[in-house]
Amino acid sequence: MSRRQSKDGEPCPVADIPDRIVLKRHRDLEGRRHAIWYRRAIVALLAVFLLLGALNVFGQRPAGTTVDSPEASLELYAPTKLRGGVFFEARFTITAHRDVKKALLQLSPGWQESLQMNTIEPVPIGQGSRNGDLLFTLGHIPAGQKFRLFLQFQVNGTNVGRRNADVTLYDGGKKLIHIHRRITVYP
Amino acid sequence: MDIVGRGVVVFFFLYLLVRMMGRRELSSLEPFDLILLIILGDAVQQGLTQDDYSLTGAMLAVGTIGVLQIVTSYANFKFPRLRTFLDGEPIVVVQDGKPVEKNVRRERLTIDDLAEAARREGIPKLDDVAWAVMETSGQISFIKKSDA
Repeated sequence: MSRRQSKDGEPCPVADIPDRIVLKRHRDLEGRRHAIWYRRAIVALLAVFLLLGALNVFGQRPAGTTVDSPEASLELYAPTKLRGGVFFEARFTITAHRDVKKALLQLSPGWQESLQMNTIEPVPIGQGSRNGDLLFTLGHIPAGQKFRLFLQFQVNGTNVGRRNADVTLYDGGKKLIHIHRRITVYP
Repeated sequence: MDIVGRGVVVFFFLYLLVRMMGRRELSSLEPFDLILLIILGDAVQQGLTQDDYSLTGAMLAVGTIGVLQIVTSYANFKFPRLRTFLDGEPIVVVQDGKPVEKNVRRERLTIDDLAEAARREGIPKLDDVAWAVMETSGQISFIKKSDA
Protein backbone atom coordinates (compact mmCIF):
# COMPACT_ATOMS: atom_id res chain seq x y z
CA MET A 1 0.00 0.00 0.00
CA SER A 2 1.58 3.27 -1.00
CA ARG A 3 1.44 6.39 1.12
CA ARG A 4 2.44 8.99 -1.41
CA GLN A 5 0.73 12.19 -2.42
CA SER A 6 -2.11 12.18 -4.90
CA LYS A 7 -2.32 14.25 -8.08
CA ASP A 8 -4.36 16.73 -6.05
CA GLY A 9 -1.48 17.17 -3.66
CA GLU A 10 -3.26 15.62 -0.72
CA PRO A 11 -1.92 12.60 1.12
CA CYS A 12 -3.28 9.40 -0.23
CA PRO A 13 -3.82 7.15 2.76
CA VAL A 14 -5.00 3.97 1.15
CA ALA A 15 -3.74 3.07 -2.24
CA ASP A 16 -2.88 4.62 -5.51
CA ILE A 17 -5.79 6.54 -6.85
CA PRO A 18 -7.21 4.72 -9.87
CA ASP A 19 -6.10 6.17 -13.18
CA ARG A 20 -8.14 9.07 -14.53
CA ILE A 21 -9.83 9.56 -11.15
CA VAL A 22 -9.29 13.04 -9.78
CA LEU A 23 -10.35 13.21 -6.16
CA LYS A 24 -11.39 16.83 -6.28
CA ARG A 25 -13.75 16.14 -9.14
CA HIS A 26 -14.81 12.53 -8.65
CA ARG A 27 -14.94 12.36 -4.86
CA ASP A 28 -15.38 15.94 -3.70
CA LEU A 29 -17.47 16.75 -6.79
CA GLU A 30 -15.81 20.10 -7.36
CA GLY A 31 -17.35 21.72 -10.41
CA ARG A 32 -20.07 19.06 -10.47
CA ARG A 33 -22.35 20.16 -7.67
CA HIS A 34 -24.59 22.07 -10.05
CA ALA A 35 -25.22 18.87 -12.04
CA ILE A 36 -27.68 17.64 -9.45
CA TRP A 37 -29.68 20.85 -9.94
CA TYR A 38 -29.84 20.24 -13.68
CA ARG A 39 -31.22 16.82 -12.94
CA ARG A 40 -33.75 18.27 -10.49
CA ALA A 41 -34.77 20.92 -13.02
CA ILE A 42 -35.43 18.25 -15.62
CA VAL A 43 -37.43 16.21 -13.10
CA ALA A 44 -39.45 19.35 -12.32
CA LEU A 45 -40.07 19.97 -16.02
CA LEU A 46 -41.20 16.41 -16.48
CA ALA A 47 -43.50 16.75 -13.46
CA VAL A 48 -45.03 19.90 -15.00
CA PHE A 49 -45.54 18.04 -18.29
CA LEU A 50 -47.29 15.19 -16.46
CA LEU A 51 -49.40 17.62 -14.46
CA LEU A 52 -50.51 19.34 -17.67
CA GLY A 53 -51.41 15.92 -19.05
CA ALA A 54 -53.46 15.15 -15.93
CA LEU A 55 -55.20 18.50 -16.31
CA ASN A 56 -56.39 17.57 -19.81
CA VAL A 57 -54.13 20.01 -21.63
CA PHE A 58 -53.30 17.28 -24.15
CA GLY A 59 -56.83 15.83 -24.34
CA GLN A 60 -58.96 13.78 -24.71
CA ARG A 61 -61.57 14.52 -22.03
CA PRO A 62 -64.86 15.60 -23.64
CA ALA A 63 -66.51 18.89 -22.84
CA GLY A 64 -70.05 20.04 -23.46
CA THR A 65 -71.16 23.17 -25.32
CA THR A 66 -74.83 24.13 -25.48
CA VAL A 67 -76.33 26.85 -27.63
CA ASP A 68 -79.98 27.82 -27.46
CA SER A 69 -82.31 29.44 -29.95
CA PRO A 70 -86.08 29.97 -29.82
CA GLU A 71 -86.59 26.97 -32.12
CA ALA A 72 -84.15 24.46 -30.63
CA SER A 73 -81.07 23.90 -28.54
CA LEU A 74 -77.98 22.05 -29.65
CA GLU A 75 -75.60 20.41 -27.22
CA LEU A 76 -72.28 19.17 -28.49
CA TYR A 77 -70.36 16.86 -26.18
CA ALA A 78 -66.91 16.02 -27.56
CA PRO A 79 -63.24 16.59 -26.83
CA THR A 80 -61.49 19.57 -28.37
CA LYS A 81 -57.98 18.26 -27.68
CA LEU A 82 -56.89 14.97 -29.11
CA ARG A 83 -53.79 12.93 -29.80
CA GLY A 84 -52.82 10.79 -32.76
CA GLY A 85 -54.47 7.38 -32.66
CA VAL A 86 -57.07 7.99 -29.94
CA PHE A 87 -60.71 6.99 -30.26
CA PHE A 88 -63.34 9.53 -29.34
CA GLU A 89 -67.02 10.19 -29.53
CA ALA A 90 -68.96 13.30 -30.45
CA ARG A 91 -72.55 13.45 -29.25
CA PHE A 92 -74.97 15.96 -30.72
CA THR A 93 -78.22 16.47 -28.79
CA ILE A 94 -80.88 18.54 -30.47
CA THR A 95 -83.85 19.55 -28.34
CA ALA A 96 -86.69 20.98 -30.41
CA HIS A 97 -88.55 23.79 -28.63
CA ARG A 98 -90.80 24.09 -31.68
CA ASP A 99 -91.37 21.69 -34.52
CA VAL A 100 -88.18 21.35 -36.58
CA LYS A 101 -89.53 20.03 -39.86
CA LYS A 102 -86.30 19.24 -41.67
CA ALA A 103 -83.33 19.19 -39.31
CA LEU A 104 -79.98 19.40 -41.07
CA LEU A 105 -76.68 19.22 -39.27
CA GLN A 106 -73.75 20.79 -41.08
CA LEU A 107 -70.22 19.98 -39.97
CA SER A 108 -67.13 21.78 -41.17
CA PRO A 109 -64.42 19.66 -42.86
CA GLY A 110 -62.30 19.64 -39.69
CA TRP A 111 -64.65 16.92 -38.42
CA GLN A 112 -63.44 14.57 -41.11
CA GLU A 113 -59.94 15.77 -41.98
CA SER A 114 -57.54 12.93 -41.10
CA LEU A 115 -60.10 11.38 -38.77
CA GLN A 116 -61.59 7.95 -39.33
CA MET A 117 -65.34 8.01 -38.80
CA ASN A 118 -66.11 4.58 -37.38
CA THR A 119 -69.77 4.85 -36.47
CA ILE A 120 -72.67 7.17 -37.03
CA GLU A 121 -75.83 6.34 -35.08
CA PRO A 122 -78.64 6.69 -35.87
CA VAL A 123 -77.88 6.68 -39.57
CA PRO A 124 -79.09 10.00 -41.02
CA ILE A 125 -81.81 10.04 -43.64
CA GLY A 126 -79.37 11.60 -46.04
CA GLN A 127 -75.73 12.61 -46.29
CA GLY A 128 -74.30 15.17 -48.63
CA SER A 129 -72.09 18.18 -49.04
CA ARG A 130 -72.89 21.86 -48.82
CA ASN A 131 -70.20 24.24 -49.94
CA GLY A 132 -67.52 21.76 -48.86
CA ASP A 133 -69.08 20.99 -45.48
CA LEU A 134 -70.59 17.68 -44.45
CA LEU A 135 -74.36 17.72 -44.36
CA PHE A 136 -76.52 15.21 -42.47
CA THR A 137 -80.25 15.21 -43.00
CA LEU A 138 -81.89 14.18 -39.74
CA GLY A 139 -85.55 14.72 -40.62
CA HIS A 140 -88.45 15.85 -38.48
CA ILE A 141 -87.99 16.54 -34.77
CA PRO A 142 -91.34 17.24 -33.09
CA ALA A 143 -91.55 20.05 -30.51
CA GLY A 144 -90.37 18.94 -27.06
CA GLN A 145 -88.50 15.92 -28.48
CA LYS A 146 -84.78 15.22 -28.43
CA PHE A 147 -82.66 13.85 -31.22
CA ARG A 148 -79.25 12.39 -30.34
CA LEU A 149 -76.64 11.71 -32.98
CA PHE A 150 -73.51 9.77 -32.04
CA LEU A 151 -70.39 9.94 -34.15
CA GLN A 152 -67.35 7.89 -33.25
CA PHE A 153 -63.90 8.57 -34.61
CA GLN A 154 -60.29 7.58 -34.50
CA VAL A 155 -57.57 10.17 -35.08
CA ASN A 156 -55.03 9.35 -37.78
CA GLY A 157 -51.52 9.09 -36.40
CA THR A 158 -50.21 11.73 -38.78
CA ASN A 159 -53.00 14.22 -38.08
CA VAL A 160 -51.35 17.00 -36.11
CA GLY A 161 -52.41 20.62 -35.77
CA ARG A 162 -55.51 22.76 -35.27
CA ARG A 163 -58.56 22.98 -37.44
CA ASN A 164 -62.12 24.28 -37.33
CA ALA A 165 -64.81 21.86 -36.26
CA ASP A 166 -67.88 24.07 -36.49
CA VAL A 167 -71.41 22.72 -36.25
CA THR A 168 -74.51 24.39 -37.66
CA LEU A 169 -78.09 23.29 -37.23
CA TYR A 170 -80.61 24.18 -39.93
CA ASP A 171 -84.32 23.72 -40.33
CA GLY A 172 -84.45 23.32 -44.09
CA GLY A 173 -82.80 26.49 -45.36
CA LYS A 174 -83.08 28.39 -42.09
CA LYS A 175 -80.03 28.58 -39.89
CA LEU A 176 -80.98 27.94 -36.26
CA ILE A 177 -77.78 27.46 -34.30
CA HIS A 178 -74.08 27.71 -34.94
CA ILE A 179 -71.31 26.41 -32.67
CA HIS A 180 -67.78 27.54 -33.41
CA ARG A 181 -65.21 25.05 -32.30
CA ARG A 182 -61.58 24.21 -32.92
CA ILE A 183 -59.95 20.83 -32.58
CA THR A 184 -56.29 20.55 -31.58
CA VAL A 185 -54.50 17.31 -32.31
CA TYR A 186 -51.23 16.66 -30.50
CA PRO A 187 -48.62 14.25 -31.91
CA MET B 1 -40.52 11.60 -42.62
CA ASP B 2 -42.93 11.51 -39.71
CA ILE B 3 -41.37 8.36 -38.27
CA VAL B 4 -37.88 9.86 -38.48
CA GLY B 5 -39.10 12.98 -36.62
CA ARG B 6 -40.81 10.89 -33.96
CA GLY B 7 -37.69 8.72 -33.69
CA VAL B 8 -35.52 11.79 -33.02
CA VAL B 9 -37.92 13.09 -30.34
CA VAL B 10 -38.24 9.68 -28.67
CA PHE B 11 -34.47 9.12 -28.71
CA PHE B 12 -33.65 12.42 -27.01
CA PHE B 13 -36.55 12.14 -24.59
CA LEU B 14 -35.43 8.68 -23.52
CA TYR B 15 -31.81 9.81 -23.34
CA LEU B 16 -32.81 12.63 -21.03
CA LEU B 17 -35.07 10.37 -18.99
CA VAL B 18 -32.41 7.72 -18.50
CA ARG B 19 -29.78 10.32 -17.57
CA MET B 20 -32.25 11.90 -15.17
CA MET B 21 -33.18 8.62 -13.49
CA GLY B 22 -29.57 8.21 -12.53
CA ARG B 23 -27.05 5.51 -13.17
CA ARG B 24 -28.28 3.28 -10.38
CA GLU B 25 -31.21 2.24 -12.55
CA LEU B 26 -28.93 1.63 -15.51
CA SER B 27 -27.01 -1.18 -13.93
CA SER B 28 -29.55 -3.03 -11.88
CA LEU B 29 -32.50 -5.10 -12.93
CA GLU B 30 -34.49 -5.08 -9.73
CA PRO B 31 -38.19 -5.96 -10.22
CA PHE B 32 -39.22 -2.31 -10.52
CA ASP B 33 -36.48 -1.56 -13.03
CA LEU B 34 -37.55 -4.53 -15.13
CA ILE B 35 -41.16 -3.31 -15.09
CA LEU B 36 -39.99 0.16 -16.08
CA LEU B 37 -38.00 -1.19 -19.02
CA ILE B 38 -40.85 -3.34 -20.30
CA ILE B 39 -43.39 -0.50 -20.04
CA LEU B 40 -40.98 1.98 -21.61
CA GLY B 41 -40.43 -0.26 -24.61
CA ASP B 42 -44.10 -0.93 -25.14
CA ALA B 43 -45.24 2.66 -24.64
CA VAL B 44 -42.55 4.06 -26.91
CA GLN B 45 -43.21 1.63 -29.75
CA GLN B 46 -46.80 2.79 -30.09
CA GLY B 47 -45.79 6.42 -30.33
CA LEU B 48 -42.90 5.71 -32.66
CA THR B 49 -44.45 3.65 -35.44
CA GLN B 50 -48.14 4.03 -34.52
CA ASP B 51 -50.20 2.05 -37.03
CA ASP B 52 -47.39 1.65 -39.50
CA TYR B 53 -46.73 -2.08 -39.87
CA SER B 54 -44.50 -1.72 -42.92
CA LEU B 55 -40.94 -2.96 -43.22
CA THR B 56 -39.92 0.50 -44.47
CA GLY B 57 -41.45 2.09 -41.36
CA ALA B 58 -39.62 -0.32 -39.06
CA MET B 59 -36.32 0.30 -40.89
CA LEU B 60 -36.79 4.06 -40.68
CA ALA B 61 -37.51 3.90 -36.94
CA VAL B 62 -34.65 1.57 -36.11
CA GLY B 63 -32.30 3.38 -38.52
CA THR B 64 -33.04 6.73 -36.90
CA ILE B 65 -32.30 5.41 -33.41
CA GLY B 66 -29.16 3.67 -34.68
CA VAL B 67 -27.80 6.76 -36.46
CA LEU B 68 -28.50 8.97 -33.45
CA GLN B 69 -26.69 6.46 -31.25
CA ILE B 70 -23.66 6.66 -33.57
CA VAL B 71 -23.82 10.46 -33.67
CA THR B 72 -23.98 10.82 -29.88
CA SER B 73 -21.24 8.25 -29.44
CA TYR B 74 -19.03 10.13 -31.93
CA ALA B 75 -19.80 13.45 -30.23
CA ASN B 76 -18.87 11.78 -26.95
CA PHE B 77 -15.55 10.71 -28.36
CA LYS B 78 -14.77 13.94 -30.20
CA PHE B 79 -15.82 16.51 -27.61
CA PRO B 80 -14.72 15.63 -24.06
CA ARG B 81 -16.74 18.48 -22.59
CA LEU B 82 -19.88 16.97 -24.08
CA ARG B 83 -19.02 13.63 -22.50
CA THR B 84 -19.79 15.00 -19.06
CA PHE B 85 -23.30 15.83 -20.20
CA LEU B 86 -23.96 12.80 -22.39
CA ASP B 87 -22.44 10.08 -20.24
CA GLY B 88 -21.78 11.66 -16.88
CA GLU B 89 -18.60 11.06 -14.90
CA PRO B 90 -17.43 8.38 -12.51
CA ILE B 91 -17.97 9.06 -8.85
CA VAL B 92 -16.00 7.73 -5.89
CA VAL B 93 -18.36 5.96 -3.48
CA VAL B 94 -15.94 4.17 -1.14
CA GLN B 95 -12.51 5.23 -0.03
CA ASP B 96 -10.41 3.18 2.35
CA GLY B 97 -13.31 0.97 3.33
CA LYS B 98 -15.54 3.93 4.22
CA PRO B 99 -18.48 4.98 2.09
CA VAL B 100 -18.26 8.58 0.85
CA GLU B 101 -21.59 9.52 2.36
CA LYS B 102 -22.57 12.48 0.22
CA ASN B 103 -21.77 10.63 -3.01
CA VAL B 104 -23.57 7.51 -1.89
CA ARG B 105 -26.65 9.59 -1.06
CA ARG B 106 -26.42 11.46 -4.34
CA GLU B 107 -26.54 8.21 -6.28
CA ARG B 108 -29.37 6.90 -4.07
CA LEU B 109 -27.24 3.95 -2.97
CA THR B 110 -27.49 2.29 0.42
CA ILE B 111 -24.70 0.60 2.31
CA ASP B 112 -26.52 -2.65 1.56
CA ASP B 113 -26.30 -1.90 -2.17
CA LEU B 114 -22.56 -1.32 -1.85
CA ALA B 115 -22.06 -4.45 0.22
CA GLU B 116 -24.05 -6.49 -2.31
CA ALA B 117 -22.02 -5.12 -5.22
CA ALA B 118 -18.82 -5.89 -3.30
CA ARG B 119 -19.95 -9.45 -2.60
CA ARG B 120 -20.60 -9.94 -6.31
CA GLU B 121 -16.94 -9.07 -6.84
CA GLY B 122 -15.90 -11.59 -4.19
CA ILE B 123 -15.22 -8.97 -1.52
CA PRO B 124 -16.86 -9.98 1.76
CA LYS B 125 -16.31 -6.72 3.64
CA LEU B 126 -16.34 -3.09 2.60
CA ASP B 127 -13.37 -2.64 4.93
CA ASP B 128 -11.33 -4.58 2.36
CA VAL B 129 -12.11 -2.03 -0.34
CA ALA B 130 -9.51 0.59 -1.16
CA TRP B 131 -11.62 2.34 -3.75
CA ALA B 132 -15.09 1.83 -5.16
CA VAL B 133 -16.01 3.93 -8.14
CA MET B 134 -19.46 4.10 -9.63
CA GLU B 135 -18.86 4.18 -13.35
CA THR B 136 -20.94 6.04 -15.91
CA SER B 137 -22.61 2.73 -16.84
CA GLY B 138 -23.91 2.37 -13.29
CA GLN B 139 -21.55 -0.52 -12.51
CA ILE B 140 -19.40 -0.21 -9.40
CA SER B 141 -15.71 -0.98 -9.83
CA PHE B 142 -13.90 -2.19 -6.73
CA ILE B 143 -10.20 -2.03 -6.02
CA LYS B 144 -9.24 -4.14 -3.04
CA LYS B 145 -6.69 -2.94 -0.52
CA SER B 146 -4.62 -6.02 -1.21
CA ASP B 147 -4.63 -5.25 -4.97
CA ALA B 148 -3.28 -1.78 -4.39
